[in-house]
Amino acid sequence: MSQSDYHMHYIITNYFEVYFLGSFQYICNSSAVVCDVIIMNAPRQLLRIQCIGCIARILGKPVQRVILPTGAHLQTPGSQHNYGQLLRPFHCSAVCSTSRPSRTQLEKTVEDETLNKDKSLVTHDDLFERAARDSKTKADFNRVVDVFSKKDIRRRGHVEFIYAALKKMPEFGVERDITVYNKLLDVFPKEVFMPRNFIQRMFNHYPRQQECGVQLLEQMENYGIMPNVETKVLLAQIFGEKSHPMRKYQRIMYWFPKFKHANPFPVPHVLPSDPVELARFSLTRIADDLDAKITIYQYPSTDITETGEEVMRPHIVGIQSPNQRSLLAKHNPCRPVFVEGPFPLWLRKTCVHYYLLRADPVPSEEKVEEEFDPEMMGPEQSLFYPQRLDLDLERDMGDDFRFDVDDVEEGPVYAMCMAGQADQVTLSQWISGLQETCPILGQIPTVFRLDSGPRELQTTSDAQQTPEQEVETDQITEEEPLHSQRVKQ
Amino acid sequence: MSVSLGRNVFAPRVAQKGDCLHHFQSRRFIRSSARSLTYAKDLFLGKVNKAEVFPFPEISKEELEELNQLVQPVEKFFNEDVDSKKIDHEAVIPPETLNGLKELGLFGIQVPEEYGGLGLSNTMYARLGEITSLDGAIAVTLAAHQAIGLKGILIAGNDSQKAKYLPRLATGEHIAAFCLTEPGSGSDAASIQTRATLTEDGKHFLLNGTKFWISNGGWADIMTVFARTEVVDKDSQKKDKITAFIVERAFGGVTSGKPEDKLGIRGSNTCEITFEDTKVPIENVIGEVGGGFKVAMNILNNGRFSMGSAGAGMIKRLIELTSEYASTRKQFNRSLSEFGMIQDKFATMALNAFVMESMAYLTAGMMDRPGVPDCSLEAAMVKVFSSEGSWICVSEALQVLGGLGFTKNYPYERYLRDCRILQIFEGTNEILRMYIALTGMQYAGKILTGKIKEMKKGNVGVVFEILGKKLKDSVVKTVDFGLTGKDGVVHPSLTESAKMFEQNAAHFGSTVESLLYRYGKTIVEEQLVLKKVADVLINLYAMTAVLSRTSRSVSIGLRNHDHEVLLTNTFCKDAHFKNNFLLTQLQKNSPENNDANIKKIAQEVIAKRAYVCSHPLDRTF
Repeated sequence: MSQSDYHMHYIITNYFEVYFLGSFQYICNSSAVVCDVIIMNAPRQLLRIQCIGCIARILGKPVQRVILPTGAHLQTPGSQHNYGQLLRPFHCSAVCSTSRPSRTQLEKTVEDETLNKDKSLVTHDDLFERAARDSKTKADFNRVVDVFSKKDIRRRGHVEFIYAALKKMPEFGVERDITVYNKLLDVFPKEVFMPRNFIQRMFNHYPRQQECGVQLLEQMENYGIMPNVETKVLLAQIFGEKSHPMRKYQRIMYWFPKFKHANPFPVPHVLPSDPVELARFSLTRIADDLDAKITIYQYPSTDITETGEEVMRPHIVGIQSPNQRSLLAKHNPCRPVFVEGPFPLWLRKTCVHYYLLRADPVPSEEKVEEEFDPEMMGPEQSLFYPQRLDLDLERDMGDDFRFDVDDVEEGPVYAMCMAGQADQVTLSQWISGLQETCPILGQIPTVFRLDSGPRELQTTSDAQQTPEQEVETDQITEEEPLHSQRVKQ
Repeated sequence: MSVSLGRNVFAPRVAQKGDCLHHFQSRRFIRSSARSLTYAKDLFLGKVNKAEVFPFPEISKEELEELNQLVQPVEKFFNEDVDSKKIDHEAVIPPETLNGLKELGLFGIQVPEEYGGLGLSNTMYARLGEITSLDGAIAVTLAAHQAIGLKGILIAGNDSQKAKYLPRLATGEHIAAFCLTEPGSGSDAASIQTRATLTEDGKHFLLNGTKFWISNGGWADIMTVFARTEVVDKDSQKKDKITAFIVERAFGGVTSGKPEDKLGIRGSNTCEITFEDTKVPIENVIGEVGGGFKVAMNILNNGRFSMGSAGAGMIKRLIELTSEYASTRKQFNRSLSEFGMIQDKFATMALNAFVMESMAYLTAGMMDRPGVPDCSLEAAMVKVFSSEGSWICVSEALQVLGGLGFTKNYPYERYLRDCRILQIFEGTNEILRMYIALTGMQYAGKILTGKIKEMKKGNVGVVFEILGKKLKDSVVKTVDFGLTGKDGVVHPSLTESAKMFEQNAAHFGSTVESLLYRYGKTIVEEQLVLKKVADVLINLYAMTAVLSRTSRSVSIGLRNHDHEVLLTNTFCKDAHFKNNFLLTQLQKNSPENNDANIKKIAQEVIAKRAYVCSHPLDRTF
């Protein structure tokens, strides 16, 4: 219970104490009672015994005021009207775009539903199913919502409808669309569920509707959609300023902005569709080195040989930093390097695989101590300044803030790549590409240690990818304008 | 003892103004009784060797007359025949100007007279530097020629090398350059890649490699080049060592790149030089094979002092120019010079010029003393202080003129551009601060190691001794190094400033000790600490210089010595409080110390390689 909730509760119990005592009556500044800014012990001070009788005043006057002070900007009839005016055309626009015939069909369905209400159970799920038998897009979804809103001025069954709509949203690919959520919220009749007196306010007024509103906001929250001002206006019109959905809204608005940039390595919602671009994105993400350079060793292409066979040439994209390159140049050619993989990398719901070129850690006996020339680095010898002092004094314990960390020695990783095919042929193409910058690779034995397990997994996922890809491409076409906009920005 | 001996021998020499042979001989003679005293290094131990810096060094009357005779034509030449604006605009010094400089003998100021130079001492060289600095490009050209270019031959060359090269270098017939920096090694001289390989007959070295940012690189005929050579050391192992060579352009295989287009000192020639199988005879090795490092060190470390007098010369000129403007220009019915903020600028300029001058001539005087003076620390301090002071002063001078100063109609923007290089070349100020602080730390550390170790072991005696000393210090507030008082070396009118200096010096000594206790040899990694240490030391040396100079001026009654007293007291007070703040920052867990945060900011910015913050107009909802 938030602090303001607590206040309400506290004040209300006080009301009752006074009421049941029967002998006291109090007058208080009701606006102050409801206002959030009351400090904890304020109500107690406000309990002023001033005159006896007049229970009506407690019941009538404060309640009216209760609504007014906090929501004054919304509650004035004129402004409310204005909001409605503003919102309506906004929502209508989607309806205009729908095609005529399917609409009539849908209306018929709805009519059927209303007529046969007593006889058969036509769920709202069916409404969506029927509406969009062949295509499931945002326009279709909006059309269903519009039809529902238009068919009955009382909006009977709107709670069920909203629940059904929420469930269907991912199917239509609109689960991340704030305008659709607002449109759904607009299905609720306005002002009906607003508490009119303090008793209504005290108890859970229209619990099913409020619950439904909260559910809608919850779904938004789960998909990471931030409500906007329109949502707030709608909630205020439907449930009032102090309702549970409004509270939910306020909590979302409190936490969401705070957590918006909590992830320092965000993955975009729409991943690049081009496998080369995707590989480029994933590899830079793993490498986390601003110096690392992406090299595209091979673009994906399809060749047709003389015999008419189609030969797929998979993409090979690699990444290597200058440090890795110089490490590789120093590699002892007697020791082998390994091409290992595939290792999975999850980017939201997509899994990609990458391969490493690595070596075993250098055994301690082979390590060459970096030579240091006392003439160059030593005290009073250096040209510019000594790189080290010739003193027999260590850092004092009080100034030694190093942690005692056990270092685990690992072998160096020389390069990384992603390829369209997970076979040795493709990967050896990568290695030969690397040889251009690191000629020493030609002398080093290269061992391919490709795990079969994950590869099989990948092939199955490849097989599965076909339908998945379709869905994805659908989504991409749907959201392409948005994506391209972002690129432009 | 050795010092007083040195003085006695030195005194008669001074009278023999021109006799260079005698000059050198007397030096040689003294060298055997090595002076162990150092001034700046001993400050790290909290010691003030006042004998080193008091009284302020002076030159004999004859030397002064000779110098004045030299200065006048040079001054006249710079005022009348040097068109700095044209040099800057066309990025080249016209040949007639160069010829004028040669006729004045300015290409061989420090070359002994027997080789055709002027044979001037460091002090006199500094005096000429005041005038040559009126044009940055000429000053750099001359400095690259003789302060570093031919210095190697002068200090480490053998007689035949000197006889062969110096005469033509001194007249300016040949121009010299100093080739150390390489593309891969800016300040890191250890990573020199240029290589000299001995030919099979053993009579030549083949030189291969590229040198960067070589002043006079385009027209130099004689170059001092540093290259790696293979040397067999004691354990009969082959090792790479640096060797210095005299390379003539006539040896062949030397190509100069295009002159760099620079921000300032545009008239000076800076370019890349490539050596390709340049055949250098073995007798052109300076010093011995593998001993080039010491040569380079000596050239660089002691050549920096002249920047102080050069900066002072420039600021003195700027004061003349701007004060005229400030007195004639009227704003709000008052002349500009009546405004406090403008007055502040003139005071800054005067103070800086005064301090630079004092430091430069004190250091030059110390270097001119017989023996092998180790003044590299002092010279580095002069360089750091004067390069930064010049930058501030030129900027303030420009500010006095406001928008006018920003235009090319006035010389201020050129001075501003020219003097920016001072903080960069001959060792960047950052490198030099490290050098100053670490050299002192090494010196103090060697002496203090035993004591600190005892302390760490918890030796009761040592701990008590230190506690007792601290107690004594806190009870007896004043520290006395004997600068003032009955046998004091500082004039009584400067007593207060001298006391401030003494306090700082004592505090500095104890701070160095605690730093050594805390960091030991890992202090090399604490650059922010070292920067503060260097800054304190620079301030201390500057205070010493002005105290010493002004004491002399007052004592012998130089004209306007009361102004010097004023400047000294002002500077010392300022420096005292700056030092106090720096020394407080150096204390452990000092709330004034922001180093940890500074490091963290830098790390976060560099990890992103961009400014980290969101835009203030960004929103999250």
